[in-house]
Amino acid sequence: MIQTPLQDTVLSVKGLSVSFGALKAVHDLTFDAQRGQVTAIIGPNGAGKSTAFNLISGAITPKFGQVKFEGQIVTGFSPDKMLAVGLSRSFQITNLFFDLSVHENLRLAGQYLERGRGWWSPVQKSQTALARADELLSQFGLISKANDLAGHLSHGEQRRLEIAVALASKPSMILLDEPTQGMSHADTQETAELIRRLASEFGLSVLLVEHDVDLVMRVSDHVVVMAQGMKIADGSPQEVRANPDVQTAYFGDKH
Amino acid sequence: MLDRFNSNSSKPNAVRILAIVFFATALLFALIGTVMGDSFYIRLATEALIFGGLALSVDLLLGHVGLLPLGQALFFGLGAYVSAVVLKEWAASFWLAIIVSMLFCAFAGLIGGLIAIRSKGVYFALISFGLAQVFSRVIYNTRELGASDGMTGVPVVTVVPGLQTDNPLGFFFVTWLVIGGLYLVLRYVMQTPMGRLFGAIRVNEHRVCFLGFGALRFKITAFVAAAVVAGLSGALYPMLRGFVSPELMFFQVSGNAVVNVIIGGSGTLIGALYGAGLLTVLKSILGSFTVHHHIVIGLLFVVVVIAFPRGIVGYLVPVLEARLSKKKTGDNS
Repeated sequence: MIQTPLQDTVLSVKGLSVSFGALKAVHDLTFDAQRGQVTAIIGPNGAGKSTAFNLISGAITPKFGQVKFEGQIVTGFSPDKMLAVGLSRSFQITNLFFDLSVHENLRLAGQYLERGRGWWSPVQKSQTALARADELLSQFGLISKANDLAGHLSHGEQRRLEIAVALASKPSMILLDEPTQGMSHADTQETAELIRRLASEFGLSVLLVEHDVDLVMRVSDHVVVMAQGMKIADGSPQEVRANPDVQTAYFGDKH
Repeated sequence: MLDRFNSNSSKPNAVRILAIVFFATALLFALIGTVMGDSFYIRLATEALIFGGLALSVDLLLGHVGLLPLGQALFFGLGAYVSAVVLKEWAASFWLAIIVSMLFCAFAGLIGGLIAIRSKGVYFALISFGLAQVFSRVIYNTRELGASDGMTGVPVVTVVPGLQTDNPLGFFFVTWLVIGGLYLVLRYVMQTPMGRLFGAIRVNEHRVCFLGFGALRFKITAFVAAAVVAGLSGALYPMLRGFVSPELMFFQVSGNAVVNVIIGGSGTLIGALYGAGLLTVLKSILGSFTVHHHIVIGLLFVVVVIAFPRGIVGYLVPVLEARLSKKKTGDNS
């Protein structure tokens, strides 16, 4: 099949809105994300990016609007159902099983692939989950840390594990919530490469929420800019950078 | 080769040794009682094992799923009452009493679970406490079930041909096998993907949902399983004592089970049995000296919680492990 990336929409968000009391946290958000591309949502603090992210991933149910994934309406799906259709997410504040080993974190997540088969035999026999865990350990450079507790990893390693755990179920799209939060410059570089790899090497569609504008401009194919709960621009990194509204709302207070 | 389980590969060995020591000690206790010709000790050991079964069910919830049940005696008492009613009114069959009690408790666990499980932390603890309170009061006021006096005259039944429940050593063996079996089954379940998910829920329930598993479903499964374990243990009680009373469902029993688990070491399963064994025996010995034995038990609880926050087994496992690995390296050199 000939790839027509511009028309192959994997995620379609239409008129998404939610209010917290009088605050319109997200208002009438509409955008599309294409298959195999990195789509980013950026915006100044309080622009509603994280809320938008939670609405799309099912953590919050929207008041109005629709989320369509692979042609299926998934608005307000519970997190486990969301994963079942192939949409996985990572967390801004590292959300791991800190008391468990790195390997066990990945094995648990990989357990999803077994769909309840062989659940009456000990985990040593669940080949699918174990193989997936080993695969992710090597892909994410965590082999030497396999038996360490997740809570004992460095911040950068935890962020990497966070993404690996989200990938364990082999989703077709991954939502990354501020993956470089609190990272050193070197770690941020590494994460930027990783995000590109997710799309190019793993063939994943990526939706990224990020405050680091330079990173976003470097790794994204498509950028959605939000301010005060609304979308103010939408396009390629170059287009968005040139947009005067974005200049004022975002880059304005930066320069 | 990667260690498949967790960071401590020798941990199962230390736990296994402690389990063997526990069940061997229980046997020894009963055999000494037999040699001395005093059935008191045999019956005491049997009772300790029965309350150990209740403690196991508490540890399944507290130590593995992270839910604190303050009313687990509800299912223990329910198992005891159903067993007594079946034996008295229906058929004097050991197996029928056991099976009906388990089924009844599974059903009750499902209803109770649906009510309690959505709540977290202290709210779950209080709802489970409340359910037991309500139910024990209902039994307390139901004349048909003997009201506050309970039910006496539970008949002696045959377990297997030649072995009756009034044979102290024989019934001890039956209880030993049932509780030992329960322990092995629970230990096995904890090594399966389902058991590992229980542990994951305890550590981080929120993330479990984002791994594609409905945490609620697994919590209800655990709650029902715990109800069945408590009910099965309870079903043995009237066979040992010949009576049941509403006190079996009172907070005293639920609270003791939690204390047993914490003193023994929560999350270890075998710790629950150690705790129950230790406290049942201690209470009986102290009880023969003073009526204020609760003071001593209370002090012991405080000391253990401060000195060994992970309980007796939680303290012993790393010590034993260090010994074992030392021995191993010693053998190699």
